[in-house]
Amino acid sequence: MDPTAMEIIGYNGSDIDNEEDEEATNHLRDRFRLSTITIAESEAKENNMVISQPVIGCISDLAFKYAEQLAEDLEQFAHHAGRKSVNMNDVILSAHRNKHLADSLRLFSYDLKAKEPQSEKKRKKSSNKEDRAPPSLVHIDP
Amino acid sequence: MENNNNSFDQDLVYAIFKIIWSRKAIEREKNEDAEYSKPEERAGTSKRNRPTSANSNALKLSCELLRLFVTEAVQRAATIAEAEGGSKIEATHLERILPQLLLDF
Repeated sequence: MDPTAMEIIGYNGSDIDNEEDEEATNHLRDRFRLSTITIAESEAKENNMVISQPVIGCISDLAFKYAEQLAEDLEQFAHHAGRKSVNMNDVILSAHRNKHLADSLRLFSYDLKAKEPQSEKKRKKSSNKEDRAPPSLVHIDP
Repeated sequence: MENNNNSFDQDLVYAIFKIIWSRKAIEREKNEDAEYSKPEERAGTSKRNRPTSANSNALKLSCELLRLFVTEAVQRAATIAEAEGGSKIEATHLERILPQLLLDF
């Protein structure tokens, strides 16, 4: 980083944070790409197709950007509901513009709920609280 | 467990989310006590500005959403490639399906 930029930012060390941030992001992007390659290649195989590496790279970058956007959306949804933690409803809400997508996510969420009632027991109190609408908001006298 | 091979890693997605969320938390903190000017203060030191977190089912669902994004991209591109009589998905095929794909997600 050149000195003029440093002066603009100030000496609070946020530039160092940004560099670390970027390094971590790049590392994650690489890991993300590896997963994407596996998914995309197996999907192409099912369609009896070969997929070229640059295309997978593009799809991976797109999906990564989408993930970052998703993170911001989910955070805002959760905060709007007065929560500090993102739950499944937030994820479904993020796909609300595409009905098919939202429906398939909803199905998947039912599967997840049904699949692990045992492991959920420990956290039952907290997750129940999160998954249901807050009851305090309902009562308004006519 | 075979699903593991064919989907994103939950921890990986959480790490991506976490970077965004802690960045936002730092921003919020800076905005809130700008007058106190405590720039060394990291996210999580004050309870009100703790970064957002997510429960594990929400993360699994996010993984599924991202997996759907990738598989949809491949499937739609494969349809175009097939219509053109090829057997390899090239960048031009992706270009064709990209606008609608981005609108759908």
